[in-house]
Amino acid sequence: MGFNFSENGFNQLLESLNQDYQIYAPVRKKNKDSFSANDLITYDLIKSLEEIELTVKSKYSAKEIVFPIRETLFHFVEGEQFIASDTDDKYIIFLRPCDRNAFKRLDKIFLENGPEEDIYYKRLRENVKFFVIECTSGFDSCFCVSMESNTVEAEDYAAFLRFEENGVSCEVNDQDLAVEFSSQAEEIKFEPQFIEKNKVEVKLPDREKLTNEVFEHQLWTEYSQRCIACGRCNTSCPTCSCFTVKDVLYDENKKSGERFRRWAGCHIDGFTEMAGGHNFREDYGDRMRYKTMHKIYDFGERFDFDMCVGCGRCDDVCPEYISFSKCINKLSTIIEEGV
Amino acid sequence: MSFNTKKIKKNAFRITKDREVTALRIRVPGGHINAKYLSLIKEIADEYGNGTLHITTRQGFEVPGISFADFEEVNKKIAPILEGMEKEIGVKIADPREGYPAAGTRNVSACIGNRVCRYSNYDTTEMAQQIEKNIFPNDYHVKIALSGCPNDCIKGHLQDFGILGMVEPIYHQERCIGCKACVDNCHKRVTSALSFEQERVLRDEKRCIGCGECILQCPTNAWERGEQFFKVVIMGRTGKKNPRLAKPFLKWASRDVVIAIVNNVYDYIERHIDTSLAKEHIGYIVDRTGYPKFKEEILKGVELNSECEIADKINWNGYQTGEKI
Amino acid sequence: MSLTAEKSLKNPYLSQKAEILEIFQETEIEYTFRLESDFELNFGQFLEVSIPGYGEAPISVSNFTDQWLELTIRKVGKLTDRIHDLEEGDYLYLRGPYGNGFDFENYQDKNLIIAAGGTGLAPVRSLIEYAGNNLDQLSDFEVLAGFKDAGSLLFERDIKRWRQKFDVLLTVDKTCDIWGECVGLITEHIAELHLENIANTEVIVVGPPPMMKYSIIEFQKLGVPDDQIWVSYERKMHCGLGKCGHCKIEDNYVCIDGPVYNYAEVKEIRD
Repeated sequence: MGFNFSENGFNQLLESLNQDYQIYAPVRKKNKDSFSANDLITYDLIKSLEEIELTVKSKYSAKEIVFPIRETLFHFVEGEQFIASDTDDKYIIFLRPCDRNAFKRLDKIFLENGPEEDIYYKRLRENVKFFVIECTSGFDSCFCVSMESNTVEAEDYAAFLRFEENGVSCEVNDQDLAVEFSSQAEEIKFEPQFIEKNKVEVKLPDREKLTNEVFEHQLWTEYSQRCIACGRCNTSCPTCSCFTVKDVLYDENKKSGERFRRWAGCHIDGFTEMAGGHNFREDYGDRMRYKTMHKIYDFGERFDFDMCVGCGRCDDVCPEYISFSKCINKLSTIIEEGV
Repeated sequence: MSFNTKKIKKNAFRITKDREVTALRIRVPGGHINAKYLSLIKEIADEYGNGTLHITTRQGFEVPGISFADFEEVNKKIAPILEGMEKEIGVKIADPREGYPAAGTRNVSACIGNRVCRYSNYDTTEMAQQIEKNIFPNDYHVKIALSGCPNDCIKGHLQDFGILGMVEPIYHQERCIGCKACVDNCHKRVTSALSFEQERVLRDEKRCIGCGECILQCPTNAWERGEQFFKVVIMGRTGKKNPRLAKPFLKWASRDVVIAIVNNVYDYIERHIDTSLAKEHIGYIVDRTGYPKFKEEILKGVELNSECEIADKINWNGYQTGEKI
Repeated sequence: MSLTAEKSLKNPYLSQKAEILEIFQETEIEYTFRLESDFELNFGQFLEVSIPGYGEAPISVSNFTDQWLELTIRKVGKLTDRIHDLEEGDYLYLRGPYGNGFDFENYQDKNLIIAAGGTGLAPVRSLIEYAGNNLDQLSDFEVLAGFKDAGSLLFERDIKRWRQKFDVLLTVDKTCDIWGECVGLITEHIAELHLENIANTEVIVVGPPPMMKYSIIEFQKLGVPDDQIWVSYERKMHCGLGKCGHCKIEDNYVCIDGPVYNYAEVKEIRD
């Protein structure tokens, strides 16, 4: 079902949705990025259309809403464990097709990999409705088309929105929301559009030809010199899902505390360090190789699609100007030409 | 020939080694200049000077080899510079065709600041220009420099007032991934103000110098860029008598406080300057009145922000140049 | 969010309390803790072991029965330091078991050789016990165990018992006066093995990464094919559930796909 809203109309819709949902969208936080006087574009709660930042790619993805950077697993008091009870909060997340597809990757790990579902992820994920933002021109570093994550299927979203000069056109799939939409807008025909060509194109290496011989290639030693292991590529990535589990004791009472998890990144020191100090991937170039292979090969071997969605955030945030898309293309060339 | 050297000097021209040859000094408030003025300065150097330019330590230009006879004409020529680089930012210039109205208070210099530099906590040029507007023209000899961060690349520690940018880093534990990039960096490069305990970062406010490095290091924006503050170091100097580094006077001062104390300096000088000397620099006046007097007068009427710390005592050591080395 | 005391069994991150029944000192820094247990265990599986407030670590089950299990723990950090302060009657917190473990069917009626380096003996100890009690299910059975020195020897009392039933070759890298056993790296002793029926031989190699690497090379030199070599990998793990990602090597999650692998399947994989 397609609808057309005026700006006012859409704001009224948001207002009514806000009764039941916490609505997250990319926003602009004035002067809040790391460098002074730079704005931070990131996800936060919104109440109106004007707050949504559509002109610039967000530095972080919507991942942190469903997989919080730090999340309490349970509290303990005198050895007894208490899990925080589920909340009834429901969420609407505005995001582009690449980021919607990133959630498919997270779903694989948290809900399908291993013998059990991750209940912490699941209890948030179940309460999310996706509002996909139509994205037909992308940004400079995007390569979603190459990663086949430029499109979404109708079942992947509750609503699909086209932001126009004087309002919003959209399609609603979610029956629960259809009433809210239809009561405030005129019905139109709506056909979602997707970007068909990015400025950056990536050629994935031929899976058949990709052997471990390439692990020794000097391609990676270049990154040993360039990478500084800051982990920004991991934290900005919408599909990186690794975490570390830690305990803390509350200062007041040494008998109570919490076990929590927080994001981990394969580029950051300590990721493979075992108790006693042995480290399986000390070299930064090896970390780049490991991440690259995970994003464009290993994940795909385990599941049906590659992990990387081509959002290009890792390129945008790397302080050493390491480009992931460039790395993939270099790898493909090496494979084509023979290692 | 008869010239009033005092008038020439006040007009920002220099009395040089060569009789009847002067050098024009051009101020660049905040150290940032629209490139269009360079062609004008080049023209003056070619036409009236000897075709060379000297770049001064205070980020100005000096055009040597100008004949005394030409100085009024040169003044007319530099009118667009006074117009564009002084009047435009609010400096009161009665007639831009008469050259610089004063030379005592030196060009307010600044590092490149946050228009370019990743470390800078504010726009140094913009603030330097505001200070220039407030204190220029003035005959009293005061040197001020602004640095974007406590690295002090502009060498504010050798000025009467070194104004160093600070930022309050605000930690959000819920965004912290415990990578310790901020803690390690603070230990290696700054003051070890950060530590990591119970899986969270602790900031020792006494040790923190507000450099903002932790904000820059963080891969998750767990350190939020908070309010902007300043450290003010005072009465550093070179000179023939007693060179010394400036010492901290204010820490965590707001911009308004910094602006206000700089404005107050002139009344203090007015009251205490030894007029029997040709031009007594402010540092020597403070040496004479003592820091407590200086502090009392310079803070008069200044509404301090609650975060602002003030030095109780200051002991400038420096060294006496006359001593045997 | 309010706290509820519901101890959901569906939450795989919650641990269960287990009483320490007995503590055995192995070396200066390694102790074996026997804990009450109702886990259904397989040889070579591991548990996530914790003390709330001090963290959690993956630790191999070094032996088990229906009533108890044993964990052999080296003092290497905050959690294990704290565990070493515990006494009989105190509690540890366990969740698991995790990993595939050794499938005895793969060794049924075979010549089984187990080469273990240092703490690598812990994950195969239960398998050794079972094999020793069921020698009729194997054609031959031999254990080679290498340690740094006499002071780091583990399971001394078990080894004495084992030797009444099957061969256990003990070796130390560095000898000392009281040492009456072999000397030299375990690899040297592997090289000296006489394997009579290689086609019917299965080899298990467990230990620190360099020990495993070079021991495998020695077995290969003896003519043992890769698919008759079995390894157990140790990696950093934070969940045991295939989520946290620390133990991933290529498309393997050691915590769920391993830690036991047939070497032919993993010989190419690189961290």
